[in-house]
Amino acid sequence: MASASDMKGFFRQKKKAAGGGAIGKSKPKKSTSFKKPKQSASYGTDQVQPTAIISHGSLDLQDDYDSNEEVLRQFDMSMAYGPCLGMSRLDRLERAKALGLNPPKEVERLLKAGKVNAECLWDGRI
Amino acid sequence: MAAAHMEVNSENDAIQRKQSLYKSLDERFGIQKEMYRGQQYSQIYFARLHLMRTLLYSLLPNWKPHVPVCTVLGLEEGKECIIVGTIYKHMKLKPCILDEYSKERSATPLVKIHNFTSSDDYLVLEDESGRVKLCGTVLLPSVYVTGSVIALLGKETGASDFMVDDILEAGFPHQIERPLVSGEDKYVVFVSGLSVGGSSSNPLQFQLFIDHITGHLGDEKEQSFAAQIVQVVVAGNSVEYPSALLNGQNLSSKDQSRLSEPIKELDILLTQIAAGIPLDIMPGPNDPANFCLPQQALHRCLFPGSSSFNTFRSCTNPHSFELDNVSFLGTSGQNIDDLEKYSDANDKLEFMERTLRWRHLAPTAPNTLGCYPFTDRDPFFIETCPHVYFVGNQDKYLSRLIKGSEGQGVRFICIPRFVDTGAAVVLNLRNLECHTLSFGTELSP
Repeated sequence: MASASDMKGFFRQKKKAAGGGAIGKSKPKKSTSFKKPKQSASYGTDQVQPTAIISHGSLDLQDDYDSNEEVLRQFDMSMAYGPCLGMSRLDRLERAKALGLNPPKEVERLLKAGKVNAECLWDGRI
Repeated sequence: MAAAHMEVNSENDAIQRKQSLYKSLDERFGIQKEMYRGQQYSQIYFARLHLMRTLLYSLLPNWKPHVPVCTVLGLEEGKECIIVGTIYKHMKLKPCILDEYSKERSATPLVKIHNFTSSDDYLVLEDESGRVKLCGTVLLPSVYVTGSVIALLGKETGASDFMVDDILEAGFPHQIERPLVSGEDKYVVFVSGLSVGGSSSNPLQFQLFIDHITGHLGDEKEQSFAAQIVQVVVAGNSVEYPSALLNGQNLSSKDQSRLSEPIKELDILLTQIAAGIPLDIMPGPNDPANFCLPQQALHRCLFPGSSSFNTFRSCTNPHSFELDNVSFLGTSGQNIDDLEKYSDANDKLEFMERTLRWRHLAPTAPNTLGCYPFTDRDPFFIETCPHVYFVGNQDKYLSRLIKGSEGQGVRFICIPRFVDTGAAVVLNLRNLECHTLSFGTELSP
């Protein structure tokens, strides 16, 4: 895979995550045997993801996405609690509680424990 | 020495002004605690739909007990059911920002249409799962507007429309009974559209009004009447700025000082009222307040003279308060004026009645009426039925006492613009009767 020397200097760009700094993330689950291309993006290149935008030495196909995040994403996507864009997850949870919608306790526990993304999955992407 | 009294004749028998217990209910209209995080209006629509739907679901057993309720996506063709959702009215005449780009740049000026309804309008019901076009003769598109939440009984047709057989609106909310006050008459005076500083405002007319209600005019009988006025409510559009100053051009220093004149003049006039009577002032569409509803209270620094009195209260628009346990709710007119553009009715009072039946002060917000994007609540939802529901800046005085289905009694008042009509409205707290107080300065030949 990627050699350690190429990893230095690459900072994973991340929005303010509840988890704190980005360095020191666990290795991505998928190990890839792609050869890392050396060219950078320019007109006429046939490289899909040139060096400049590959972070952590692999294609950015899956960002950190563990089972906790999966549960929270299901909470985000659930129609019953209303639109998720423009609100932090905790605010949306509080609203759901205030409106008597009984959101799952699991979600509340995860959000209050703190090591998860406080914003909804679309935050910063739309 | 009493705070406000008037000397009468030589008997030294001072007439005391009556007083009432005031309680402000404007907390829900404040936006000081809100923080804008880039949210869109879908949040306020969700809050509104959820609030109203829970309410309508609780009313369904009394209306059609054995009919199943389903979501829009769960509709089955031919099966009779009830759906609850937000109405969207498709109007071809409604101006759309995209039209500016699609039409070729012709020289024809845009005709300012006052009412955008047409016979082609149709209604669509929407909930979180989807939307469905509504058809049938029971539901009149000219009555409803985008943003009202209702329950409909009917069935899906072959053409994937929903044929409506019956409609349920939330109806007037529950009203807390007004304690019967014995004997004394106490009056509340409503005035709006003063337009101080405007070209058509007549300072003498408003001065006459002030002198009358503070008891400086008239004989003992008039003064006794004036002493029974316990509250004055100014419902919006108290100032008018010359339009030439507001067209976005840079102002010379002379023009800049002209900008502050209307509000200074208003402060001088309001000080005279506040010195003697409790005064509530609400912002209106032309006042120096924020544009979106709920408009926040005009700042105290605009009224250096009047705000030194504790009788002076700057309030939000919409404004809700209680006076001697009589509850009042009212706006400066934007909500009803917007309804007039997008639906039809016989008179303004009918629009007002509809908003109360739909339990929502401004159903067209945020669609066509500017509104703050609340995320977790809809402050325009009417929770309890007011005893008095007023709207300012209307063309003419209209008033009616309407009874709800549970015996609620509501006095609806349309307050005319003072600058055009010279009239204010007087309400008797004891029996909720209303009359006008007109001031003329023309000397009849």
